[in-house]
Amino acid sequence: MEDKAKVILIFVAICSFFLVAKSAQLQIFDSKYQEQARRTTLDKSIKYPSRGLIFDRNNKLLVSNSTIYDIEVIYNNVPDVIDTSELCTLLGIDKSAFIKNINKNWSSPQYHKAIPFTFLSKVRPEQFSVFQEHLHKYPGFYPIERNIRNYPHSNMAHALGFLGEVTKKDVQEKSDDYRNGDYIGKSGLERTYEYALKGEKGVGYVLKDNLGRNVESFENGRLDSSAVSGSDIISTLDLDLQAYGEELMQGKMGSVVAIEPSTGEVLAMMSSPTYNPNLLNLDRNRGVSYDSLNLDTLYRPLFDRSVMAKYPPGSIFKTIFSLVAMEKGILTPNRTIYCDGVYEVDSKGLYKQKCHQHPTPYNVSIALQHSCNTYYYQTLREFIDSYGYSTPGKGLDTLISYLEDFGLGDKLGIDYHTEGKGFLPRSEVYDRMYSSVYNGWRSTYVLSLGIGQGELELTTLQMANLAAILANRGYYYPPHLVKTFVKDEFTLKPWYTTKKKVRISQEYYEPVIDGMAKVTTLGTGKLAYITDIELCGKTGTSENAGVDHSVFFAFAPRENPKIAIAVYVENAGFGGAIAAPIASLMIEKYINGTINERRQYLEDRMKTTKLIATSSDPIDQ
Amino acid sequence: MSQRSRISSKSIDWISLTVFLSLLIIGWLMLYASVYDSNVSYAYLDFDSIIGKQTIWLAIALVAFVVVYAIDWQFWNTFALPIYGVAIFLLIMVLIVGTEIKGATSWFTFGGVSFQPSEIAKFATALAVSGFLSSYKSDIRTKNSILISFGLILLPVFFILLQSDAGSAIIFVSFFMLFYRRGLSPLFYILGFSIAGIFIGSLIFGPRIIVLAAALLGLGILIYNIGDSWRSALIFFLISSISILLYFRDLYWYGIGIVAISTAVYSFMMFQERLFRTLTLVLPAVLISTMLAFGSTFAFESLLEPHQQDRIDVWLRPEKSDPRGARYNIIQSKLAIGSGGLQGKGFLKGDMTNLNYVPEQTTDFIFSTVGEEQGFIGSFGVIFLFTLLIIRTIIIAERAKNVFIQNYAYCVAGIFFVHFFINIGMALGIMPVIGIPLPFLSKGGSALLGFTIMVAVLLRMDMARFRA
Repeated sequence: MEDKAKVILIFVAICSFFLVAKSAQLQIFDSKYQEQARRTTLDKSIKYPSRGLIFDRNNKLLVSNSTIYDIEVIYNNVPDVIDTSELCTLLGIDKSAFIKNINKNWSSPQYHKAIPFTFLSKVRPEQFSVFQEHLHKYPGFYPIERNIRNYPHSNMAHALGFLGEVTKKDVQEKSDDYRNGDYIGKSGLERTYEYALKGEKGVGYVLKDNLGRNVESFENGRLDSSAVSGSDIISTLDLDLQAYGEELMQGKMGSVVAIEPSTGEVLAMMSSPTYNPNLLNLDRNRGVSYDSLNLDTLYRPLFDRSVMAKYPPGSIFKTIFSLVAMEKGILTPNRTIYCDGVYEVDSKGLYKQKCHQHPTPYNVSIALQHSCNTYYYQTLREFIDSYGYSTPGKGLDTLISYLEDFGLGDKLGIDYHTEGKGFLPRSEVYDRMYSSVYNGWRSTYVLSLGIGQGELELTTLQMANLAAILANRGYYYPPHLVKTFVKDEFTLKPWYTTKKKVRISQEYYEPVIDGMAKVTTLGTGKLAYITDIELCGKTGTSENAGVDHSVFFAFAPRENPKIAIAVYVENAGFGGAIAAPIASLMIEKYINGTINERRQYLEDRMKTTKLIATSSDPIDQ
Repeated sequence: MSQRSRISSKSIDWISLTVFLSLLIIGWLMLYASVYDSNVSYAYLDFDSIIGKQTIWLAIALVAFVVVYAIDWQFWNTFALPIYGVAIFLLIMVLIVGTEIKGATSWFTFGGVSFQPSEIAKFATALAVSGFLSSYKSDIRTKNSILISFGLILLPVFFILLQSDAGSAIIFVSFFMLFYRRGLSPLFYILGFSIAGIFIGSLIFGPRIIVLAAALLGLGILIYNIGDSWRSALIFFLISSISILLYFRDLYWYGIGIVAISTAVYSFMMFQERLFRTLTLVLPAVLISTMLAFGSTFAFESLLEPHQQDRIDVWLRPEKSDPRGARYNIIQSKLAIGSGGLQGKGFLKGDMTNLNYVPEQTTDFIFSTVGEEQGFIGSFGVIFLFTLLIIRTIIIAERAKNVFIQNYAYCVAGIFFVHFFINIGMALGIMPVIGIPLPFLSKGGSALLGFTIMVAVLLRMDMARFRA
């Protein structure tokens, strides 16, 4: 035979010898495989970390964990004969559900007869403890612990947010962190701080015998890792203040935001009607609860009015408008503008705007105290016309650029994903609106902006932040909901500790604040008066097609303010009637801890005032 | 040797025929064992069950065997090119009207029957290459013939790769067995094995040590060619030990520096001695090896698809892969085979097989059924039968009196060898997971038919040796 043929034969023989040698090693010399094979299956178990807890600023527990169970199954490990009717009774399901849950589509790559899949999810602890005693009768079935969230109170539903199952996209983008069926923060703090709260999963590889019992770890646990629990979070919220506020807001539609001016920490943030956060805590009734909240299109309890709703601010706008007008020299602190209850726009008195009965405003403080409309119509007109009568856009945009300094027209960057921007009407809005009018628009077309009406819209959070700016006399820290993380590896974003300054000279604040102080003593907001706290506030009655909205924003005390607050109650009429008492009660509660008994009547009135048909907690358990 | 009747009992190669038939029977039994489920009673001829379908295919294959065996071998030589053309046409058609199964568009489906044209392509390419290389005009040692033979192989490979069926494409390396026999320069084989070696070595040990090894080898050749024997051996030994020591002390680049300086010194000496030939061979080789070694990781990550990377990782770097994911098949297959022990658990008694613990057990991992139920005795038996079939085919090739027949026999030997070695090697965990079937054992009608026809043609050709 030729040499080359011999080489080929030898090559083939050597390769075959290799195969035989390897077979011999696996089957004869290495007993490891025979031992391991008795254990039959290699199982990868995920060790779930416990999710970080959330506390309020006084270390009161806001969100805790409790356990529910998912029952998983390996199809191949289930014996042919099991007592299915007992199993169904133990787990509280019927036979058709059992059949549906165990017979998966085996041709789909998602399921395999030798790989565990979820048979039944969200079994409650009391049900599980019964099932656990019988677990040995059902080889192939085993439980997986899952953490769900619990709320020892029933407040702050919007700010805290809720968990939900991960989406396909989450799994694809962050496959290291999530797999199908995991829970992830869907809204509120749960969502913003998902990265800190979630912790890290661990894995364990275990060899199991054919009855599903663990036999030993795989490769001595070399590939195993333990779970690292998530970081606890200390929130800036004050549970007592929040709960008190939610009680006062019951039966009303609207929102309240309270901020600590010196730090930008949000003390309370609520939207009414709200719901009990325990309703969405991932047990099996959740779907029904969620639907009933989601389908309530009249009151929309899932809609967070504190950061998402845009409202015309009404007269509270006069405070910052005064500041800008003084800065630009249109007003001086002691300027008088005569008002007889009517503002005549043209000299012939054909076009008038109304004001109400009040003493003549000799200065800015008095104008604010009585919320004089004439004063601000005139100021707006002069402000805009000072940049040219026929070019009102210039004047308006200068005003807008100052308002942007106050954090309006854009997100404040709170750690809350649904925050809205509000709306600042720049000149192009009116250019478009009056594009068909000969010669365009003039300052008189937009007079209502001067009293916070018209196209201008703010979120309640922005209003509260305005109160904080006034309290601080000219600066703010972006409002935020988290104080610290318990684990050092997470820190607060530097954005929240960066001081934002407003371009207004210091001297102009006192006249405005003086006016706000008079509002509660002698002005439009006398119901907000507190004997031992000097409260500076401003009412607003935001005109509306239906009943007007009631607005009040305030800070207190006048010196070294501890709290700034904005209250917005929809369709509640005059600002001094509903919003001002609620704001002042919350301030009193926060600063003094109790309500003076002389004001008890006011508290009772606010708690019992019902402006919407149902209770604020429409499907409480 | 005297003239005999055309088809007589003595002219057929009885050994091959027996091995072939044994493998057919073993294949059917092992497939039956793989799908066996004590709860289900099987209708053996029911086309809807796996085993029923296979039984019918087996019958078709046996009929095909007889029919093909009756055809004169000259037919295959004459029509080699047209058959090749039809096969290429079918490969193109399957891209257009084919059905996608497990990510590869390589199947025609007519009413429940699927058929893989790449099975025909193997046979057709064997005929075409054999035909081409048997012509007096061709010589595998010339550039033209190399280009044409490689082209004949690469054309079907190209279309099969378009079907994203990398497994079937790899089979076409089988033809290098024939090329070797026809005298293709050993350079190709050295090159091929070196590149594979560098790639595999770099992935397992990292590129650094491979580069060091290549540099030392190059330096060794230089020193061997210039120095006097024992002093130069000593120098080489010193440099090697120092550089390897530095490698383990994390001072790798100093080691490489020492080797590079020594290489430069010896290169200069050789340059003066005018030993250009060795120099121009060794230095580029070392340089290219270095590039390949460092390029291997890059090629691995950028050229291969994620599932292919997984398979290479499972093979070479098991610690990098998920034992519940990509590595699961191999772990389960090895467990099943290992659990068989010397004698096996007995026919239909393999519990891992019965409980379907090995994924793809009826196709790619059919050998695990043999291993678990028949033990080492069974594994050895199957490996032995395949080896015997291949050796017998080579003997048939060597005793053929016609170059076409010899070429064809080598093609068949190569194809069987690649299928057999890769498939069983994969089940045992020494080869990467490449989805190719084990002839006669794995489920699949068109593969069974293709291999049977190949054997029938081979045995028919073998008879030609009795004619003058």
